[in-house]
Amino acid sequence: MQKTIRLLLALGLAALCAASLSAQSKRLNFYGWSEYIPQAVLDGFTKETGIRVNYETFSSGEEMLAKLLSGRARYDVIQPNDYIAEALIKAGQLQALDTSKLTNLGNILPEFTGMPHDVENAFTVPYMVGTVGIVVNTEKVTEPVTGYADLFSGKYAGRIVVLDDGRELATAALYTLGKDLNDFSPANLEAVRPILAAWFKQIKLFDSDSPKTALIGGDVDLGLVWGGEAAILWDQDKKFQYVLPKEGAHLFVDLLAIPKRARNVENAHLFINYLLRPDVSKLISDSFPYTNPNGAARKLLTEAQLANPASYPKTEMKLDTFRHLGGDTGARIDKLITDLKNAN
Amino acid sequence: MQALPGANPENPHARLPRVWGWILIAPMVVWLALFVLAPLGILFVYSLGTTGELGMVEFGLNWGNYARAFDPIYLKILARSIGYAALTTALCLIIGYPVGWFIARQRPVVRNRLLLLVMIPFWTSFLIRTYAWIAILKSEGLLNATLLAAKVIPQPLELLYTPFAVMIGLVYAYLPFMILPVYGSAEKLDNALVEAAHDLGAGPLRAFGEVIIPLTWPGIAAGMLLVFVPAIGMFAITDLMGGARVSMIGNVIHNQFTKALNYPFGAALGIIFTLLFVLTYALLQWRGRKRA
Amino acid sequence: MPVTLAKPRFPPSGLRLLNWSLIAWTTVVFVFLYLPIAVLVVYSFNSSRLNIVWEAFTFKWYGELFGHSPLINTLKNSLIIASISTVFAVILGTTGAWLLHRYRYRFARAIQTLICIPMVMPEIVMGISLLVFFTAVHIDLGYPTVVIAHTTFCFPFVMLAVQARLQGLDPALEEAALDLGATPLKAFWLVIVPCLRPAVISGALMAFTLSMDELIISIFTTDPSSRTLPMQVFGMAKIGLNPMLNALSAIFIVTTVAFVLFSEQLRRMSAR
Repeated sequence: MQKTIRLLLALGLAALCAASLSAQSKRLNFYGWSEYIPQAVLDGFTKETGIRVNYETFSSGEEMLAKLLSGRARYDVIQPNDYIAEALIKAGQLQALDTSKLTNLGNILPEFTGMPHDVENAFTVPYMVGTVGIVVNTEKVTEPVTGYADLFSGKYAGRIVVLDDGRELATAALYTLGKDLNDFSPANLEAVRPILAAWFKQIKLFDSDSPKTALIGGDVDLGLVWGGEAAILWDQDKKFQYVLPKEGAHLFVDLLAIPKRARNVENAHLFINYLLRPDVSKLISDSFPYTNPNGAARKLLTEAQLANPASYPKTEMKLDTFRHLGGDTGARIDKLITDLKNAN
Repeated sequence: MQALPGANPENPHARLPRVWGWILIAPMVVWLALFVLAPLGILFVYSLGTTGELGMVEFGLNWGNYARAFDPIYLKILARSIGYAALTTALCLIIGYPVGWFIARQRPVVRNRLLLLVMIPFWTSFLIRTYAWIAILKSEGLLNATLLAAKVIPQPLELLYTPFAVMIGLVYAYLPFMILPVYGSAEKLDNALVEAAHDLGAGPLRAFGEVIIPLTWPGIAAGMLLVFVPAIGMFAITDLMGGARVSMIGNVIHNQFTKALNYPFGAALGIIFTLLFVLTYALLQWRGRKRA
Repeated sequence: MPVTLAKPRFPPSGLRLLNWSLIAWTTVVFVFLYLPIAVLVVYSFNSSRLNIVWEAFTFKWYGELFGHSPLINTLKNSLIIASISTVFAVILGTTGAWLLHRYRYRFARAIQTLICIPMVMPEIVMGISLLVFFTAVHIDLGYPTVVIAHTTFCFPFVMLAVQARLQGLDPALEEAALDLGATPLKAFWLVIVPCLRPAVISGALMAFTLSMDELIISIFTTDPSSRTLPMQVFGMAKIGLNPMLNALSAIFIVTTVAFVLFSEQLRRMSAR
């Protein structure tokens, strides 16, 4: 009798241990861009699954890198952009996704699969997509603006805002030279220098965080801005038109990925799959008018949303994405911008 | 007259520390060692490294980062930062000193209320305050709307994204850090001394220059330190209200960690920056001692 | 202690002009200080989201504010962190200032310089170096790390403010207290501290303000549960200044003023 009881106890204990080990903690550590996911979406996930989402945010990809790589924090899902994800994959910092758990993966439009940063779609899932283009206040600017040449023709000197992003500006200059957007050889950087120098004289301000502020405030009439900013402007007032520069424009893709050292991998997959649902993805689009890569979600969007020229620009151009630039390229670009900004 | 705020080595009443003197200062020393010296040490180690992939630092003995810091472009940027900081300090002093003095001369109840009134605006977020200034100064903002409506100007003034806007932002941000120390010093000023000066025939100007200023000098010096030093590293205001058209040394350092992903160079700049200050401060202290 | 100020005699007419000028000047400065605040508060009642044109008067942003849990949570965090950091900063700063004044330490000048370093160091540098430090000693990010970081860059301000006041302090005070039989500790607490109070208060005010407003260092020393208000505001400001933030600022100001008036009332009642 004693033996049976002890056996039962042991089995019970073993069962308990097994249960607690296999059952993930009801928690998910999500590290994403600030103001990029509606609270309603997070709450919805918690309501459906009982998993609490610890939402931590960053304001720049580099800030994310610093905290991710410092090792102190253990995140389960992160939101890298395309070229940072490429670097993370190369450095072995992401774990391969278990696509069998991502049943909604098919919702992603084919044009956003097989992208250069993750050709096999093994490590990342697209979250939101966008472009960088020219927004024009058509009340103040009556002539058509089709690209960088028009923008920096000199007619609008002192009435232009651009992103305070060295790589974006240098890429724009590369486009006008007809070069590949990811080719930052020293020779190309030198070729870009005089172009940017001429442009800088016409720029009134640099702002990556909220360029729409200057446009709405009437301090500038045109801008080279993120598509999302332009979309918000268009929603506010249709006078703000958006155009992709004819010399060339690029796409940026914000992704979801699971870091190598994630603790709650099961929950991470659940979360990603949840975000891929069309009804959830639509909620995200409602709050943040970027380009939604989810085809099933797009079907749920309103006419007005799909008509937004900044959210869904109609273009025949092939849009490439940024690739990871190795070595000290980032530093060299930053140095170029610093030199030019402080030239006089 | 003490040149700088800080420990007065000439305090004739200072005793040699005995047991308690050492024990009581220990917490502060330990705190400084752990949270100031140790991070500085880490920074120094980083500054000797080189950037690897993904911005990870490869440790080594690379002094190149320090050499690079003396590139003319960075010296120019540093000079600009110092210039803005100096101008801000001067303006804060001129604008803030009378206020600090005035508050100190009031009855205690009124004094405390005024002091709090000075600080309260700064308990709202810096960012929100700055955006409020943007709302006031922008082309379609309040100032222009008011001036246009009053027919004072025919066209909106382009005030935002200019050095003028930057100075407004800077002075606004640092004014309390001048007012408070001046107040602290002026408050303990014995009114009888000022009256004595008047009684002895000194006009207001002379009383001011030869009695009040010297007696409130510790407050002035503290205020100048509390404004000038942080202002050199400030860059958010030039970015938000100046349009990020030029770089401050703060931008350069910040960028190393957030854009260029060049931690070693950023660390080197940080160390040099700190060293510059340490040397200047030590020099001023030494000169102060010589004079006394 | 400085002689209690006798109520100043009625000043001669030359000085009256000076006095009125001072009042005028101070008023102008206060208008300058409160101009953006007034704008903030007024726009918190504007029904238009984008803070530009006046649409209609509404309380809706205040309502939304209370439902916005991230803002409320981060506000709570910031208040707690700022309060604790200020207390630590005042303790460290005041005792440090006093000890350096009273005793002749050989390393006094070194300490003095070390103290100023957190004031000088650019915030990103301090933030990253602290992050690396905490990583190296295996301390998890959270409330303790933020408080340590905030205390570290706040207490120099308290210390300098107190030191400025100590410089003119009459040394006879402490000696008199000791002669009368007080222990050094009692002399400090009962005689010196009241003397230093204005400087401590102004230092504490500065420390609290700095902590409430600190963004960059907080980014690198917090975890999600200790996220601070400036971090939240920074993220929200990018989308566009939400009038909720205006409402938040307005409430802040009103609460602070109310708190002050209330505590003053308490003090006056207890003094009776």
